[in-house]
Amino acid sequence: MLAIQDAQVDYGSHTAFSHFSLSVHVGETISILGKSGCGKTSLLYAIASLLPLASGTIDRSVEADHCTIMFQQDNLLPWKNVLGNVLLGLPATYRDEAEKLLERVGLQDQLHHFPQQLSGGMRQRVALARALVRRPQILLLDEPLAALDEQQRELLQDDIKTYVRTHQITTILVTHSIREAAYMGSRIIIMTPGGITCQAENPWIDDPDLRTRDELFGLEQQLRSELRDTL
Amino acid sequence: MRYLKGMFLVIVLWYLIGALVSSPIIPLPDKVLSYLLLHADEHRMGHHLLTSLYRILGGLSIGLLLGTTGGLLIGRTRALDAVISPVLYLLYPLPKIAFLPVFMVLFGIGDLSKMMLIATIVFFPAAVSVRDGVQHIAPQYLLLARAYHLSARQTFSDIVWPAVLPSLFSSIRITLGISLSVLFINESYAASHGLGYAIMNSWIMAQYTAMYAGIVILSLLGLTLYSVTDLIEKQVTHTDH
Repeated sequence: MLAIQDAQVDYGSHTAFSHFSLSVHVGETISILGKSGCGKTSLLYAIASLLPLASGTIDRSVEADHCTIMFQQDNLLPWKNVLGNVLLGLPATYRDEAEKLLERVGLQDQLHHFPQQLSGGMRQRVALARALVRRPQILLLDEPLAALDEQQRELLQDDIKTYVRTHQITTILVTHSIREAAYMGSRIIIMTPGGITCQAENPWIDDPDLRTRDELFGLEQQLRSELRDTL
Repeated sequence: MRYLKGMFLVIVLWYLIGALVSSPIIPLPDKVLSYLLLHADEHRMGHHLLTSLYRILGGLSIGLLLGTTGGLLIGRTRALDAVISPVLYLLYPLPKIAFLPVFMVLFGIGDLSKMMLIATIVFFPAAVSVRDGVQHIAPQYLLLARAYHLSARQTFSDIVWPAVLPSLFSSIRITLGISLSVLFINESYAASHGLGYAIMNSWIMAQYTAMYAGIVILSLLGLTLYSVTDLIEKQVTHTDH
């Protein structure tokens, strides 16, 4: 579904990351951890064709339209209402699906509200609906929940996880939260500017009680220790 | 309501000054009002109002069309910005009214020269504010447009145009007052129609009540144009889709 071979992204003379190779299967959810500035966001932008590769290849076996990114900031357009933001650039035939998705994320009563009338959590839900209404086969999540409080964050983690697992959407999540990475990912990788230093599997990903399982705690500890070694 | 309060205050001040000066040069508001209601037709005030409205709307339309198009092009093209912006800055501060004779020679003494002068005044602030609006669009919105595969037309209609509208409306508000003042001066020379002509002609004929009636109509025209601008801005700056 997604094959990255020896990818490198440069900003002028500065290399954001290099020697990055990764194969992702259909429906897999990859969490990427790494210290700030290691090139995580640049990697997502390169996959989304928003940044050119200096070298290497990224092979997406889907049309560009089916690869969708959700940003750290919601980037909602203040002059469009909730429905207008979700339908950005799409024909009116998507309206029913947009309304269904907004109902699913609990915003059925806010369809005609403007972004400035919504809380941070609601705004990120709109951004999520905007990403999902495009029926992505590859979903790229760039720390989309970083600005939310713990409770909102867990609710949205569950919303995203349930949706992408049910619809078999290949997902790559960049996050700074070890707990989030362990809970959301079927595979968790630790990235440095020089490539991947560690990969860990999460075979319990579809367990509805994962949050309270000792295995999640163990995985977190393992990732914390690996991450500390990269600093 | 806020306009009514303002008008009330102006009328009170007018009464006070009129009572203090006690001269035919400042007729009291009730006299001007009764003239407007009973005798305005004698001086064809309705005709003068429509003539001025036609000229100002024509000038605004030409100036806004050219200024907005120019601002969008300069804002989106760095090379054009580097060449055109210094020219804009050079010409912007010039008092355009000084070129009235040139406009009369170029466009005649009819409506067109008056419209073109207003258009020239409106053009500069419109072009500069639209250019600034385009250049200050949050980069994340343009990134969003790329990430969500918006076409050039969609990027313009969904992101660029709504983002520059507030700047454009600010420039319209700023230039409306200036345009009315310039139109007044413009209509005082070589004109036989328009509110500027009506006011100046009444002054020369020492018909001070008619002169003030013209001034009141000119002020109300300005107020109406500002209100309509506010109303249009409210309608177009938020969309449902």
